[in-house]
Amino acid sequence: MSEPSRISWDVEHLLNDALRPIDPPERLSGRVEDTLSAVTQAAAEELSSWAEELSDSELRALRDPRNWVRPVFAVGAGGAAAGALVVLELRRRSQRQTQSRLRALGTRLR
Amino acid sequence: MSAEPNVEPTSLDPEAKAELDAAFEDLYRTHLRDVYSYAYYRVGNPHDAEDLTEQTFLQAYRHFDRARRESDGRPLRPWLIRIAHNLASNYYRDRSRRPQTSLENADPIAARHGTEAIAEGREELRRVMEHMEGLPDDRREALIMRFALGMDNREIARAMGRSDGATKVLIHRAIKQLQEEMGGDE
Repeated sequence: MSEPSRISWDVEHLLNDALRPIDPPERLSGRVEDTLSAVTQAAAEELSSWAEELSDSELRALRDPRNWVRPVFAVGAGGAAAGALVVLELRRRSQRQTQSRLRALGTRLR
Repeated sequence: MSAEPNVEPTSLDPEAKAELDAAFEDLYRTHLRDVYSYAYYRVGNPHDAEDLTEQTFLQAYRHFDRARRESDGRPLRPWLIRIAHNLASNYYRDRSRRPQTSLENADPIAARHGTEAIAEGREELRRVMEHMEGLPDDRREALIMRFALGMDNREIARAMGRSDGATKVLIHRAIKQLQEEMGGDE
């Protein structure tokens, strides 16, 4: 029974040697930091054209990438709401037309 | 699980935002090597490992506030590695390729040994790496997390979305499979 445990120790020992942590190249940390900065900077610049209309706290909140999902949802929800209004208006017009046609038909029949 | 509001509670507070950014920077500096090591052993070449590491931290940044709130103070390394794991899975799916790890690529191994020891141990290390490449993905990943990152069973379990017990069995089976296959080479 001693043989398997010796082999087991060997494999784990080999894995320890083979799978050493690897230091990232120096350029990588600069690259990641640049990318993160660029993401936040791009968002801030995009907002700057209409930023004058916003208060400081609103502007700060909008520069936070974690809030970007809200305008997207808002646009989506706004679009859906507008679509729903159009449908309602069309239905209302359709109902009005149907009612007036029915009234006209009733008048003619009388 | 209750529905999460879209509004992040800290997003409207500049001080909280600054604190959050500082915490993320700390996370990034502490775990850059972990994420890169994991990515490197998953994809097998430095170039793609760098891309994967960068994407991992970008995704982590986007969801950091929520992850931190939901972690209840537990370490976030498993969460980070899970992001890297998911991105690596997409990488394989998109490119239909297998890991390219080889002893040549994994040469930081050599830095630990003297020339003689490398000459003696090189063949064994080559063999264990070759056999690792043949393991099922989940066993291979668990071994990377255990040996390259030094994660314990609980951390690995969280990173892989498994129970502690299932993770323990997974690692045991991975090592046993390597033993058997390397024994079969003799």
